[in-house]
Amino acid sequence: MKSAFRFLFQQYWNPYLVLALAGVLSALYFALTHTVWAVTGEFTRLGGDLLLLLGVDVTGWQYFQLVKLQDATWSRSDGWIVWGMFIGALIMVLLSNSFKIRLPQQRRRYVQGFVGGIIAGFGARMALGCNLAAFFTGVPQFSLHSWIFIVATGIGTFWGAKLTRQRWWKGRPSLMAGAARPSKVKNRVVQPWVGGALAIAWLLLVAGLFAAGYRMLALGALFGLAFGVLIERGQICFTSAFRDLFLVGRSLMARAIIIGMAISSVATLLAIYAYDLTPVTQVAAPSTLVGGILFGLGIVMASGCETGMMYRLMEGQVLFLPVFVGNIIGATLLAYAWDHLGVYGMLVEPGAKVSLLELAGPVGALIATLVMLGTLYALTLHTEKRYHRNFALKRTA
Amino acid sequence: MNTDLNPDFTLDLRGESCPYPVIYTLEALEGMNKGELLQVITDCPGSFRNVPEEATAHGYRFACDPVKNGQEFLFYIYA
Repeated sequence: MKSAFRFLFQQYWNPYLVLALAGVLSALYFALTHTVWAVTGEFTRLGGDLLLLLGVDVTGWQYFQLVKLQDATWSRSDGWIVWGMFIGALIMVLLSNSFKIRLPQQRRRYVQGFVGGIIAGFGARMALGCNLAAFFTGVPQFSLHSWIFIVATGIGTFWGAKLTRQRWWKGRPSLMAGAARPSKVKNRVVQPWVGGALAIAWLLLVAGLFAAGYRMLALGALFGLAFGVLIERGQICFTSAFRDLFLVGRSLMARAIIIGMAISSVATLLAIYAYDLTPVTQVAAPSTLVGGILFGLGIVMASGCETGMMYRLMEGQVLFLPVFVGNIIGATLLAYAWDHLGVYGMLVEPGAKVSLLELAGPVGALIATLVMLGTLYALTLHTEKRYHRNFALKRTA
Repeated sequence: MNTDLNPDFTLDLRGESCPYPVIYTLEALEGMNKGELLQVITDCPGSFRNVPEEATAHGYRFACDPVKNGQEFLFYIYA
């Protein structure tokens, strides 16, 4: 028992395993609810809720009709996914006794996080999804928009990584001579007990929702919990997948995400044919490209995307509070710009919903997807190799 | 948990979020003389993995295994 607890909570889990599990679970969630694992749509609705609360009539905004702004967050399954993810991550943080208020030494991080959060929220919603619906759960739906979004995110993060390297952006660390004292460790350990209580409470809530007949909400709360557990335990950071490849030649997260998507694509295809489901296809348009680039740039500026932000905030990393607020503001700004500033007419209307399944049939769509992911994998390895070759040259020079 | 090592420099990164711990660590090592010892104190959970893995991948050697100290980690790396 004790060793099992140690195994689960004293170390982070293998990202390959975690993303394979997330891929299968997201296919299962789709099979059960016919919707995909996503978060930023709900962020936009939260923005709408706030505006309504402030007395702004947003019922006429086209974007809120598109994302179906109805009821309150606790009567939307997407809402339960978001809160479930926060709770799942928090439970894991507490069980592993790793909660700590972490305040950045560099004050500029707060501004960077807030501005980056706004850009990332705006871009994600322009493209109709973040690293989930337009990426991790978009590719397995065989929606072409996710292919464009991946390329665009790559471009955006490349620029973001360049920005991160600037001296005025990254700031100077405090390198001191000699040794420094580590923090005092508290002997009394209370966090795991709080985490355990929270886990039981949430599971009771899920059971209650099922018993009361709210099946969709209960599934949202349950899968949200599972996704929250996975992203925290695997430290699943989509931002780092691209950025660290450019920054320090690190490829682990990118490789794990690509393999997770491949597994999820097979599982989702099986679900589509076993249950005769309609895959979720989003419009592929110039907005996908522009939104993806903005998203990629924003997440590197903020040090975390809309998903990674969630578990980091629960760890006590205060930086991600302005990022979260920024994400919601950005998403809401896009909802306004959609019809009021002509984003739709200019960037979205020329596009079309393109489903690879309709275009190439199940076998063709799967082969095309796997070839695309294989190419991404090869590119990742190539970028890593090139970085280290350049680094070796620099060292010997 | 006390180590008998005498670090020449210390990088106190408590509070900083990824990717800055790994960037700062690699930069500090690059600026030091070969053989000098760097102590890194960090509490960003992402850095518990990417700092040691990237320091190794960039050819630096560890003086001892990473030390877990409550919610933070201590690394001892030779430049």
